[in-house]
Amino acid sequence: MRPNDRKYTKTHEWVKTEGDTVLIGITDFAVQELCSGNEGDLVYCDLPEPGRMVEVGETFGEIESVKAVADLNAPVAGTVVEINVSVEEHLEILSRDPWNAGWMVRLTPKTKSFEGSELMDAAAYEAFLAAQAH
Amino acid sequence: MPSAWRLLRTFGREPGFNMGLDEALLLVSGPLPVLRFYTWNPPALSLGFFQRFADVPETSRASVVVRRPTGGGAIHHANELTFSIAVAADHPLVRGEVRASYRRIHDAIAAALADLGVRARAKGECPLLSDRASSGMCFQRSHPLDLAWNERKGVGSAQRRTRERVLHHGSIKLGPSPLDDTVARLDRADTGPAELADHLELSFARQFGIDFVADEPSAAELTHALERAAHFRSEAFVRGR
Repeated sequence: MRPNDRKYTKTHEWVKTEGDTVLIGITDFAVQELCSGNEGDLVYCDLPEPGRMVEVGETFGEIESVKAVADLNAPVAGTVVEINVSVEEHLEILSRDPWNAGWMVRLTPKTKSFEGSELMDAAAYEAFLAAQAH
Repeated sequence: MPSAWRLLRTFGREPGFNMGLDEALLLVSGPLPVLRFYTWNPPALSLGFFQRFADVPETSRASVVVRRPTGGGAIHHANELTFSIAVAADHPLVRGEVRASYRRIHDAIAAALADLGVRARAKGECPLLSDRASSGMCFQRSHPLDLAWNERKGVGSAQRRTRERVLHHGSIKLGPSPLDDTVARLDRADTGPAELADHLELSFARQFGIDFVADEPSAAELTHALERAAHFRSEAFVRGR
């Protein structure tokens, strides 16, 4: 079961509240789709500069595996305050620990509540993935 | 029941436009899947989206250099056919793992090449004669999924995935390509870009149950392609990494 301390998007990003900010990353499912379990296939990642404002669903960066460049999409709107440089430099972190060490971006969100958004809790995300498999 | 796809043939367009139109098929097209065939006039070197300019010394020998919206290594687009596929992100062709989408697409390409007497197979774990350590050229860097024949890489492909859509494009060499001279080629006097496109179209139709409808780029796609052509050719974008 994936962590239930965060919300999930249909494009396989996660967002987790941490004080007045939120952390954003991608799920293990997204990593598996990109590299099929071969962490060496993740080759590059471009994250936004602190200070950049993003809207919900906006592309805030890209990640490259040896066979595809995939957009990274903002689960919530806000202003980038920090990026995880370790992930940019060691992409294997995403494969090994997408939930903690693999956080990618910290935002100050526009709104504190996720109510009314399309974000899913862990159980709904699991159900979404199960439905996708059929 | 066959599924309807648009079929575009845009031969002989300039390199920036070619990238602009592929981006348009990814970003501003309607919902229908698209298969596009094209050639490059003039020939050009295209860099991968994240590729460092300094890692490709071949840029000094190319008359035109562009950067693609997709990843991977550099390709010299001379004497070849380029194909692009643009479909919804949840389309069965591209749904799931990236590797799986490559296998599906490469199966169709291999079947087309087999009709032309070429026995193309996924490279697997064996090194190829076309491999060159530390090369920035796509065809000189092989992956187990790559299609190869005569122990050389023969199809260079890359993808870009957005929330809504996936663009997959690739190149197949028809003959000698000055900056890609170690790679697999079709080398058939009776098979130019149009003939190879015919075979690929037939193979895709057969493999995936597609009913292709010949079409032209829409006004929105053309506008996007023409507006973005300069970007893909620009010094800032090409040399920006």
